[in-house]
Amino acid sequence: MTSASPPVAKPRYPSTYNPAPGHRFNVGDRIAIRRTFPPGHRRTPFYIRGKQGVIERICGAFANPEELAYGFDGEPKKVLYRVRFLQKHVWPDYNGPQHDTIDMEIFEHWLEPLPDTRN
Amino acid sequence: MSDASRNKGPHDIGGEEAGPVDTIDHGMKFWERQANGLRSVLRERDLVRTDELRRAAEDLGEQYSKLEYFERTTSALRTVLLEKNLITEDELKSKMAEVRARFNVPDEMESPLKKGARR
Repeated sequence: MTSASPPVAKPRYPSTYNPAPGHRFNVGDRIAIRRTFPPGHRRTPFYIRGKQGVIERICGAFANPEELAYGFDGEPKKVLYRVRFLQKHVWPDYNGPQHDTIDMEIFEHWLEPLPDTRN
Repeated sequence: MSDASRNKGPHDIGGEEAGPVDTIDHGMKFWERQANGLRSVLRERDLVRTDELRRAAEDLGEQYSKLEYFERTTSALRTVLLEKNLITEDELKSKMAEVRARFNVPDEMESPLKKGARR
């Protein structure tokens, strides 16, 4: 017996993807990373705090690692976004092509809205 | 204290001078394999979480960069297991004495953390 579709390997681990129905931002939105320096386990690197970028995708909602790090359950889940930045904006002395970008996955509570200047 | 150093963990080194990168595969020592296996099993059974281990490693502060990778992760595992009362300090000490005797480890060998503290 033949099948039109190739066999798909069963993933060893189920995906943790959660479609995040309550997300605050949409793809294309301009945002800034909060410039704040709280103590504790934080997953937002120092060098990106205060920088401006654009939402590239909504990754889903995940247990909050800033809470998991201290033995709590990480609920409520936080929405994670992939944010795109211009390299020359992140690194003022960047020598590469002007259009080079860096993508970073950052949780919603680290993001602030910026006025939309697209048109 | 400037923004650049306030609450910045020893792991958060993006953009800092790093020197040359060692690309040689140094393999794994026997104890490193054992420690890795133990850590994997404890994580798989949900007794410890990755985020907790990362936090405990970051809390090493100045020791973080002085320790090698497996020393760091094993130290973090010790911290989390003690925190959660999954083991006690006394149990760990007596087990270490037992293993030390079984493997005929020379007395002068001591933990890298203690050695670092004396430097």
